[in-house]
Amino acid sequence: MHIPDGFVSPGVSIAGYAVTAGATWYALRRIDKDRNPQAKIPKAALMTAAFFVVNLIHIPIPPSSIHLVLNGLMGAILGFYALPAIVIALFFQAIIFQHGGITTLGINAVIMGLPALLAYGIFELRHRFNFDEQTRTKLFGFLSGASGVMVSAALFSGIVIAAIPADISAQTERRATLFALALYTIPAVVEGIATLMVASFLDRVKPELLESHY
Amino acid sequence: MKLGLDEYAELSSPMHHWEQRSKVVAIVTLMFAFAFVNDIILLPVMLLVTAVLYALSRLPLSFLLTRLRYPGLFILAMIVLILFASTGNTVLAQVGPLSITREGVETVALIAARFFCIITVSLILFGTAPFLTSIKAMRSLGLPDVMVDMSLLSYRYLEEFGKTRHTMQNAMQLRGFESNRFSFHTLQVLSGLVGSLLIRSYDRSERVNHAMRMRGYGQSQLSHIHHQEDFALDICEANRTSQILFWSVLGAATILVAVSIFL
Repeated sequence: MHIPDGFVSPGVSIAGYAVTAGATWYALRRIDKDRNPQAKIPKAALMTAAFFVVNLIHIPIPPSSIHLVLNGLMGAILGFYALPAIVIALFFQAIIFQHGGITTLGINAVIMGLPALLAYGIFELRHRFNFDEQTRTKLFGFLSGASGVMVSAALFSGIVIAAIPADISAQTERRATLFALALYTIPAVVEGIATLMVASFLDRVKPELLESHY
Repeated sequence: MKLGLDEYAELSSPMHHWEQRSKVVAIVTLMFAFAFVNDIILLPVMLLVTAVLYALSRLPLSFLLTRLRYPGLFILAMIVLILFASTGNTVLAQVGPLSITREGVETVALIAARFFCIITVSLILFGTAPFLTSIKAMRSLGLPDVMVDMSLLSYRYLEEFGKTRHTMQNAMQLRGFESNRFSFHTLQVLSGLVGSLLIRSYDRSERVNHAMRMRGYGQSQLSHIHHQEDFALDICEANRTSQILFWSVLGAATILVAVSIFL
């Protein structure tokens, strides 16, 4: 779900960088307000590396396999650190695997990062409900995981189809967008279930990871 | 997981001698200039600039080819899609109900060439200097300290965690776990793997955090001092190779953008 270099016009790339810079600036400001922001940097950095590695685990869905996007889980665990973490992870993906790109780093960070912040918001909502803790973690884990992927997919398909500089008729574009979205519901549900399972696993084994409020 | 990003960073070539800070500025400008190219006439120029830079870097061709393999497949799929989806007046070929038009071919050639050239120059940028130098260069260009510290630390642990994941997945397979069928059980086991990896990394991060704080991290403003002496403050103070390459690359980028605007 990354836009490669050379696919979209430079205007789109630059707009992507502008939005990412603004959002990251806001996230860094929120991080700075923390009591001891520098103490959490090593933790957030190592979690970034961990998420990058976990991203390489494939879930078999015959005849192919998918990998988890994990932006929902990153949002849920890292909070505002998720945005710089995603920018860094995308940068590594671009220069190590040539997946995504340097000119499109901004727009890809918008696609992955903003839904992560949304997922963080959704996951935090669980504190407002007072039914039993495990059910609550599972429910909001599923919602944040699935919405992370679904919103990313909507942003990705919308941008790709609108920004590719080819003469494609409006009707084909609309159909392609709807088709892509329908196709993404399966990975979104799988992601939601996986996030639910990971969140509930962490809740049982190491609850502080979910509560650390990065 | 072998990163091998800067395995050729120690070679000797004009690109390696080019001071990294001005290299980041010039090459990133060139990448955006490539993204601007929207006319088929400029493709040979763009490819020529890329080829000259790659030749100057003395990086082996195999380095480029292995790195292009994975994204190449994805690009190929996208190209076929766009080729058949785009509409135009001049039909070149007809395959059943689908037609390939001249406009479609031109769009695809532009996308593929831009993609290839941008990826190649980004490989030159990050392949001709140690990764640490590249990050330092970006810090001296104004990348926030939080981002710098996080990038360096996560880069340090990427390979390490990659190995841990490999070992854990091997262990699962040796115990009879078959990961080629989809079931809730498979998903549960893989989620357990994800969770365990996250917990291991978290525990590790606690120890790293303590170790770093014991050594004074976060206590003083030391980490905020920008080590600008690593780089020339002004391009005029850089070595001759840097100056020539900097101005030539910037010149090429400006010409490409100017011509693209006029065409």
